[in-house]
Amino acid sequence: MSIDVQHITKRFGDFVALDDVSVTIPSGGLTALLGPSGGGKSTLLRVIAGLESADAGSVHIEGTDATRLAPQKRNVGFVFQHYAVFKHLTVARNVAFGLEVRKVPRAQVRQKVHELLELVHLSQFADRMPSQLSGGQRQRMALARALAVEPSVLLLDEPFGALDAKVRKELRDWLRRLHDEVHVTTVFVTHDQEEALEVADEIVVVNGGRVEQVGTPDELYDAPANDFVMGFLGEVTSLGGRVLRPHDVELETGPGRDAAREAIVTRVLRIGFETRVLAETVQGEQVTVVMTRTHARTLELVEGMTVWLSAAPGAVSVAAPTGAAGGSDERDPAVPLAV
Amino acid sequence: MTAAVAAPGAARRCRSRGSRSTLTRGSGVALGLSLTWFSVLVLLPLAAVVAAAAAGGWSRYASVLGNDQTWAAIRLTVTQSLGVTALNVVVGTAIAWVLVRDHFWGKRLLDVIIDVPFALPTIVAGLVLLSLYGPRSPIGVNLAFTRYAVFGALAFVTLPFIVRTVQPVLEELDADAEEAAASLGAGRFTILRRIVLPALAPAITAGAALSFARAISEYGSLVLLSGSKPFQTEVVSVRMLTFVESGNEGAAAALASVMLAIALAVIVVLDIVQRRVARRG
Repeated sequence: MSIDVQHITKRFGDFVALDDVSVTIPSGGLTALLGPSGGGKSTLLRVIAGLESADAGSVHIEGTDATRLAPQKRNVGFVFQHYAVFKHLTVARNVAFGLEVRKVPRAQVRQKVHELLELVHLSQFADRMPSQLSGGQRQRMALARALAVEPSVLLLDEPFGALDAKVRKELRDWLRRLHDEVHVTTVFVTHDQEEALEVADEIVVVNGGRVEQVGTPDELYDAPANDFVMGFLGEVTSLGGRVLRPHDVELETGPGRDAAREAIVTRVLRIGFETRVLAETVQGEQVTVVMTRTHARTLELVEGMTVWLSAAPGAVSVAAPTGAAGGSDERDPAVPLAV
Repeated sequence: MTAAVAAPGAARRCRSRGSRSTLTRGSGVALGLSLTWFSVLVLLPLAAVVAAAAAGGWSRYASVLGNDQTWAAIRLTVTQSLGVTALNVVVGTAIAWVLVRDHFWGKRLLDVIIDVPFALPTIVAGLVLLSLYGPRSPIGVNLAFTRYAVFGALAFVTLPFIVRTVQPVLEELDADAEEAAASLGAGRFTILRRIVLPALAPAITAGAALSFARAISEYGSLVLLSGSKPFQTEVVSVRMLTFVESGNEGAAAALASVMLAIALAVIVVLDIVQRRVARRG
């Protein structure tokens, strides 16, 4: 195991950022720490890097106890959300920094910097100042700088968070390809579930200072440990005390199945290729159903119509949180989530 | 990658900037007003002094500078000012660092007190120094009529300059860059030298220029404690006042223009040093 974090607790004053967190991250993989803002994922990354010291617990990197090791001695590469460029140094000298600190001979530094700039497609910008680069280019430079010292692990803190959507997507694909080329153990923090599902080999879901679930993107999507993980990875609705995906709700115009619940259609929205139906069951539950437009047309749905709702066979569902607590308000099925 | 392709054009635009004026009518008027104000307030009086000094010709300069007492005053003023400025570069930066980066009891109070030497009327500062380091010193340290008195007084009044110029820059400094350097293996000293100092260099230089300028012009705070003994503790401003009082305004103007040249030279040198440090990293 490349990174082994055991029973880490970290407090900032009264706020518990990490609450007895244990997680192991395998060698050579690309792992995402996924969770909402303020959930502790960045703190966990910074504890691994040694930029933050934990109040309790231990960190092992490649088998060595790094708990009390200074960040300089951990041999980790760290990439920051806002690039953390050395503004007064050229792109090439930014990348060379770690090698110069290690007193690597000059010719070797030049060779290595050249290779890395090639790798991140910045060769023609070697003599520019960072201020002359775009955000995406700066982040690639920061990545090359972190890789220059051949770190045993590469840690990225919301690396694409400050970039616009298009560049973000490009860099995400590029990071995946880069990782397949370089094979360094990589951990990146993100609050974007799509980014995590698309890029990572393994996802660690962190929320409220705790690890909610660890697994591959498929495992998390198909077998979420609880309603939080399910809700964080995609849109959910609730039906009969179960939380499930809106496209896993079957809607019929007549009472057929035993478990079907009677409901009144309150709204029909057509968004692109899909139709989103909001309905209220006789028990007062607000349910969102998503179906194809063709299917909606054959059912001839109109507002005020009575329908019967049931979970599709084989649908993934978890128990709904009891009571109003549990932080489920932002996933209130009555409110259609942004598409 | 598209972003990479777009950049050379942007750089070309950057390079062409600065060659052509960007003045609109409004900013043109503003520039005119500020230049007029600046001329009335600064340039014309300076020109008048230089003209008055030049009226006496080279022989006046030669006689003023050839005077051993005047020469001693210039030497004392410049060396003490440079010394005090060098001290401030170190101590002022350190105080600013402590005020921004550390948390301790009484920090707010210290932050306010830093400005006191700057806010005090200089003669009051002189009185304060005299009462503590004068002949009747309660702590038994008598600096009166020595060069230490000049140095101490200059250090006292110039202390806030570098603190106040460095402090805001340090507050805005991106801690990320230091953390990045640390994770790349740089020790604290290397981070300070290669990451922090280049970022602070412009502020330190600006503060040093202010500090030096104030030091060579200081009068009130040191005149009481130093005693202005010729050849020993007499500074240029005192010497100049003597010239003016004895009706020798031409000599005063000559001395003034010499000090002007020294001040300009020091500011230019500081700027060169700053550019070096900021680029080196």
